Amino acid sequence: MGSNTKKNLITAGVFIVCLAAGLLLFNIVSGGKFLTADNIPVVLSHIVYPAFTAWGLSFLFACGYTDMSVGGVVVLAAFASNIFGNKFGYIGVIIPGIIVGTLLIFINFNIFAYTKIPSWIASISLAMIYEAFGFFLKTNSSTKQLVITPLNRDYRAIGQLGPSLILLAVGFILAYIIYNRTTIGLNIRAIGGNKEVAKAMGVNVNKTLLWVGVLAGLFIGVAAVIQLSYSGTLTVKTGLTSMSMIFQPLAIVLLAQILQKRINITIAIPICSLIIYSIFNLLTILHVPSGTLQEACLGAFLIIFAIIGQRKSKGVVK
Amino acid sequence: MAENVLEIRGLSKSFGSTRANIGIDFTLQKGEIHGLIGENGSGKSTLISQIAGLYAPDSGEMRLFSESYAPRSPLEANESRVSMVVQELGVVSSLPAGVNVYLGRTKLFSKFGLVSIKKLNQAANDEFEKWDLPKVGLHELADGMLIENRKMIELARAMSVDPEVLILDEITQSLSYNNRNKLYELLKKFKAMERSAIVITHDVEELIQITDRITVLRDGEVAGVLESANTTADEVKQLMVGREISGEYYRSDNEPDYDETAPVLTVNGVSVAGEIEDVSFEVHKGEILGFCGISDSGIHAIGKAVYGLEKLSAGEVLLNGKPLKSPTKALASNMAYVPKDRDNDALMMQASIWENLALPSTTELTGKMCFISPGKLRSTAQSVAEKMTVKCRDIYQPMSDLSGGNKQKVNFGRWLAKDIKLLILDCPTRGVDVGVKAYLYSLMKEAKKNGIATILISDELTEVLGMSDRLCVMKNGKLVTIIPRGDGFTEHSLIKVMV
Repeated sequence: MGSNTKKNLITAGVFIVCLAAGLLLFNIVSGGKFLTADNIPVVLSHIVYPAFTAWGLSFLFACGYTDMSVGGVVVLAAFASNIFGNKFGYIGVIIPGIIVGTLLIFINFNIFAYTKIPSWIASISLAMIYEAFGFFLKTNSSTKQLVITPLNRDYRAIGQLGPSLILLAVGFILAYIIYNRTTIGLNIRAIGGNKEVAKAMGVNVNKTLLWVGVLAGLFIGVAAVIQLSYSGTLTVKTGLTSMSMIFQPLAIVLLAQILQKRINITIAIPICSLIIYSIFNLLTILHVPSGTLQEACLGAFLIIFAIIGQRKSKGVVK
Repeated sequence: MAENVLEIRGLSKSFGSTRANIGIDFTLQKGEIHGLIGENGSGKSTLISQIAGLYAPDSGEMRLFSESYAPRSPLEANESRVSMVVQELGVVSSLPAGVNVYLGRTKLFSKFGLVSIKKLNQAANDEFEKWDLPKVGLHELADGMLIENRKMIELARAMSVDPEVLILDEITQSLSYNNRNKLYELLKKFKAMERSAIVITHDVEELIQITDRITVLRDGEVAGVLESANTTADEVKQLMVGREISGEYYRSDNEPDYDETAPVLTVNGVSVAGEIEDVSFEVHKGEILGFCGISDSGIHAIGKAVYGLEKLSAGEVLLNGKPLKSPTKALASNMAYVPKDRDNDALMMQASIWENLALPSTTELTGKMCFISPGKLRSTAQSVAEKMTVKCRDIYQPMSDLSGGNKQKVNFGRWLAKDIKLLILDCPTRGVDVGVKAYLYSLMKEAKKNGIATILISDELTEVLGMSDRLCVMKNGKLVTIIPRGDGFTEHSLIKVMV
């Protein structure tokens, strides 16, 4: 066994032990209410959507771009799944959601790549457009009914624990392989590391950016399908409130970036998703009011974690 | 007559109104190591960038093995077996070293779209072994690696295309003594294989030693082509600048000359985890204290540790008897630090020249009401730029537009606007031409005359020997000996201690 593999296995072992100890601690703090047969499925079913969105965001961040319109894309992709799902069953749930998610993020990256507008500025504008379009669909007399009718319960198995965990496993394998074991994944990371060097080494920057759009869109599209299948309907957002939909995935990616020095980011994402939702779940069990107070606790946790993760590091945690 | 591998006829390239190359004629013969030299901004990098496919020429023709050659990208140049290690670009820090070696060509190790990192690392390792390059952790991210390790990754990348023509742009000055020797060995091996190389370096003596012919560029044109065996350093320098340059730009005295009464800086038993261990020395008023050593000797950590950029695991740094722990305190105590890696550690490449020049002086220029006058900032920057003769359109030009030597003038010169008591210079003449070098040495001499204490860290032995009052030799992170300027101050005696 190579020294590198051994080191990775030891790191993984230590991390699993720490994670298990943390979850046990949560159980003790909650008076035995955290690790119960009722609560564990709740926790697990809530980590899938943010994990997929976080994988999508990690591809965006890896190439040095950001996209604030992801929440708006999720809503529109979920609308597509909802409309076509009620008409065509599972095919209608899965395919249109993924297509719309992929297409919209792909459009975003075309705009980033060819207009050279800073991505955070362009994506805020796009978020407003997507929100407005969602609002139009919800208020327009010919589409209103299609959008507000919840997805038929017969087609919502994807949101159930078993299928969604299978999807999580498939998503994890895909994300890991693409990020670490494909030319496109390595090129995406090269662009984020140093665009000029990447260009000089023959990496086609614009083509790679479009691939980022496709890959991130694919994960975000799947996330939209999972979220719709879980909740049955998604509420239209306006006034840039769709951005709040990515706060939790964003926290997951930030946490995964802190852990990145020791654990590959694609592996860290589902783990961080579990950690973040477990914190929310524990706070709920402890009757901490949801919303601002829980989010403040999450913020404090992230800062503490970043400080711990930053030790002995000469760089800066983003 | 030797076969020409590369022939260039009438190559011209302009950037806006700047004519970087004007009708260049150049030939590279089979099995030849060809030196390219010229002042900063003379057009060397532009010429090799066209050969390597980074820029397209405006006019002229290139022929490789008698066939028309016009690469549109470095990848196309690689396909024609022309590869280059560039002066500025470097590696992608977010990727492992092994992937960096094959970046842009990872498909070579790809099956059904999946890249075999194991095979890729094996191939990268083979390149390191084949050319006897110092090992780097191929699984490790390039981020945080020493500049010379990053250069080795770039070199392995260049060698991995099995080049017929290898171009090295100012690589030797990033390397320490032992790795420089490894590079010379690589070039010998390369030449023995009937392959050809173009080498750019500002070290004239080195260029004469390792090349067969030297092309001298001046103001974008070929000033002359010299046979290395039949030329002298002075002849090369004269051709470069168009006037006679005095052969000696180091100190001419042979004795230490400084105020020994009280040390300006005292370093007591300083250790930095994984870098240096139990290092103690003093620097006095008007003294130039040199530091030299092979790679991993820890010399470059000294400057950072003294300036407060490295966390000390043991020991203390005292400036005039007062402890120093942070760069903020160091700056406030009239210390200056010129790092080796100017692009990453010293300069703000996307900011303007004036912003870079004014940055260390903002405290002095802050008025009573805590406001800074933009006019004062700019006039300070303007005067430094003029004093240092920074070649630029104006001080509002982005830093990234400047050539290596002019960047170093900004990096060094901005401290001269301040009342400095201690100057830490880490490889201050890296990537600068002889003219600028002579000027920087004259500034060091002037600083010494004005009582400024200087720590001079350098990979160039001639530089530390030529300028230091005392010389600290480091090995494996420890200070082995301190040699005073005098009869034993020779390259040979240093190498015996260093290696």
